[in-house]
Amino acid sequence: MKKSQFHILILLCLAMLSAAGCGESRERERQQDSVIVAMPVSSEPEEGFNPVYGWGAGEHVHEPLIQSTLFRTNQSLALEKDLAVDYQVSEDGLCWSVTIREDAVFTDGEPLTAEDVAFTYNQCRDHSSVNDFTMLREAAAVGTYQVEFRLNRPYSIWPYTMAHVGIVPEHAYDEGYGRNPVGSGRYILKQWDQEQQVILEANPDYYGEKPKMEQVIVLFMTEEAAMAAALAGNVDVAYTAAAYAGQVPGQYFLLEAETVDNRGINLPTVARQEQDGQALGNDFLCEVEVRRAMNLGIDREALLDHVLAGYGTPAYSVCDRLPWDQESARVEYDPKRAGALLTEAGWKPGAEGIREKAGVKAAFTLMFHPEDSLRQALAEEVKNQLKALGIEVTTEAAGWDTAYDKAQSQPLVWGWGAHTPMELYNLYHSKGDGYAQYSPYRNETVDAYMDAALACGSLEESYQLWKQAQWDGSTGITQEGDLPWLWLCNVKHLYFVKEGLQVAEQKIHPHGHGWSLVNNVDAWSWE
Amino acid sequence: MKIRNGNRRKRIWLSLGLLLLLLVLLLAAGAVSEENALVSDFTQVNQPPSIEHIFGTDWLGRDMLARTLRGLFLSILLGAGTAAASAGIALICGILAAMSKWADGVILYLIDLVLGIPHLLLLILISLALGRGFRGVAVGILLTHWPSLARVIRGEILQLKESPYIWTSQKLGKSRLWIALHHMVPNVLPQFLTGMVLLFPHAILHESSVTFLGFGLSAEQPAIGILLSESMRYLILGNWWPALFPGILLVAVVLSFQYIGEKLRLFADPAGAHR
Repeated sequence: MKKSQFHILILLCLAMLSAAGCGESRERERQQDSVIVAMPVSSEPEEGFNPVYGWGAGEHVHEPLIQSTLFRTNQSLALEKDLAVDYQVSEDGLCWSVTIREDAVFTDGEPLTAEDVAFTYNQCRDHSSVNDFTMLREAAAVGTYQVEFRLNRPYSIWPYTMAHVGIVPEHAYDEGYGRNPVGSGRYILKQWDQEQQVILEANPDYYGEKPKMEQVIVLFMTEEAAMAAALAGNVDVAYTAAAYAGQVPGQYFLLEAETVDNRGINLPTVARQEQDGQALGNDFLCEVEVRRAMNLGIDREALLDHVLAGYGTPAYSVCDRLPWDQESARVEYDPKRAGALLTEAGWKPGAEGIREKAGVKAAFTLMFHPEDSLRQALAEEVKNQLKALGIEVTTEAAGWDTAYDKAQSQPLVWGWGAHTPMELYNLYHSKGDGYAQYSPYRNETVDAYMDAALACGSLEESYQLWKQAQWDGSTGITQEGDLPWLWLCNVKHLYFVKEGLQVAEQKIHPHGHGWSLVNNVDAWSWE
Repeated sequence: MKIRNGNRRKRIWLSLGLLLLLLVLLLAAGAVSEENALVSDFTQVNQPPSIEHIFGTDWLGRDMLARTLRGLFLSILLGAGTAAASAGIALICGILAAMSKWADGVILYLIDLVLGIPHLLLLILISLALGRGFRGVAVGILLTHWPSLARVIRGEILQLKESPYIWTSQKLGKSRLWIALHHMVPNVLPQFLTGMVLLFPHAILHESSVTFLGFGLSAEQPAIGILLSESMRYLILGNWWPALFPGILLVAVVLSFQYIGEKLRLFADPAGAHR
């Protein structure tokens, strides 16, 4: 009797346990408003979630989520109002006046006022290490909900700056803000385990549309770990690279996001010389025919197949498909003309098929970052393709500690691509009497167009000038122009996404694989 | 008994000879495979071992056999150079230590200093400070591997110093340097040679590990450490060959040097002759 009772007891226990187990698994399935995203380790913001120190801004632009911005860019990268309801710019372009909405509150209950906006921008001007704020003289609140930005020089693309600076609260801002951010954005930072994960929860007091995704968990993982996590089914979205994209794990599909995350190489346009004890310029690449021949002689389609397994698009400029893109930058692959250009310039085939001119070999060293397998593969591919053209390329790994200096005299594989035309300025403008910052180049006409673009009154007008800076019919930076940079490809950002997850439509991603995907995570949903 | 001893001695010499021959062949193969180790072919990416590519190909379609041979060549070259140089430092330090009390103090202090910091850490620091690359690793190994051998040689020489024939030599008016060169160096030569050969595997392994961790040779060079760290990325896709073959060959080379060193010690050690 006692024994049978004992048996029944055990059976009951087992039944309860299994019921509990079922309940748990059902609950996991029912979490329809939560998503787990694996991102690269480099996506974790070093300085925390503080817009002043680069959160959402800088090299890898994305929406700050925790904070809100005055403007935002939409799917076609046109500007939309976010906090702003209206704006005006003065005749001389030196004063931008922005009226902000009155219903925005920080998550600590305090209203967001013009004082906070002015405070944020003045902080950025004084402390930002990732963005240029030298054009800003001061930001001042002229009413509770009206703020004025007074500039040192005209800056027509100021709205793009306003589209990525998250507004911080003046009353709750201190040195530890990056760890405990208070914002008015769609999400609240719930938890941050450094070097592991970030947990975001929807902000119930958000002034806009209520986020569909209640909880967003972001894990920081290496490529291999993200792949393993996807194979185990532990994450809903896992970033990945072309090398893994051929093996999509079951229950997942491959999301290919279009990008301007481009890769290109700089071509120094002046002859070899010394400047402040540093080598500057390159005797082979300083000939414009050589640079033009290389641009024609690179088979970008083959390069995409070889290096990216097809997951990319050919790049012809730093801003492909953005509103300020000069479409005449496109070139057709034409190895015959490329060879003819070189021959005409006096580079005749010599020993072992390598061209020579007056005893000088057609050769250069191409650098890449040692921890970036994609850039290394690109360097190898460029080496192979240029060999067919009779140019000898030697590849060399160079860390960031030395690469910037060395790039003044030899090419390096770079990655760029941002949602602002300022990138053209940073790469091609000679800034006064010197050369452009990253690779020696100087063309006064190009400089003048870009200065005019910054000084002009409206964005639309400035787009035209940005395009003319690239090619105005007689000079510029494209094939028939000076060609100081050779663009290779735009790298598609690849993600394994669990079936059933509806990832909202993406705008063209900028450089930086990671946060851009969750720009609109509030609009994601499960089927 | 005697016959068996003779056979064993012969067997050891024979195996030593064979190993050396293999290593020389390896070096020769490495010397001629430089070009093949660097050529990438994107139509042959991630190919498993086949007759065409016995060790398979890597993520850039480079032949793993050529890369492995070249990697071992670089490793052995670096290992040989640094082992010889650090053994040289050890010998000089040992002799200096024996010649004067003052130098002995300084050298003992240096030995303690270097041995007090973990090998690999110090090696990484030196390599980083010198800008990585071949020079960084070479100097790093050079500066970190001499102390243990120096200590052995110093001990031997201190022992010699008390022996009657050195005293006699001193009484006969020979200078310290003359005694060191004529009486002491020949006496510690066997220990020196064995120590040098045994430094070899150490140097090779340290070079590979420092390079593997990204503080050593540059990513475009086909060093074993680079091959192994690159292969890690593709293990998850089931590509075992870029990791396995270089790994096995590295271990084989290290073990053979270890074996040669051990056997040399057997011959150099007078007590061993009776065995």
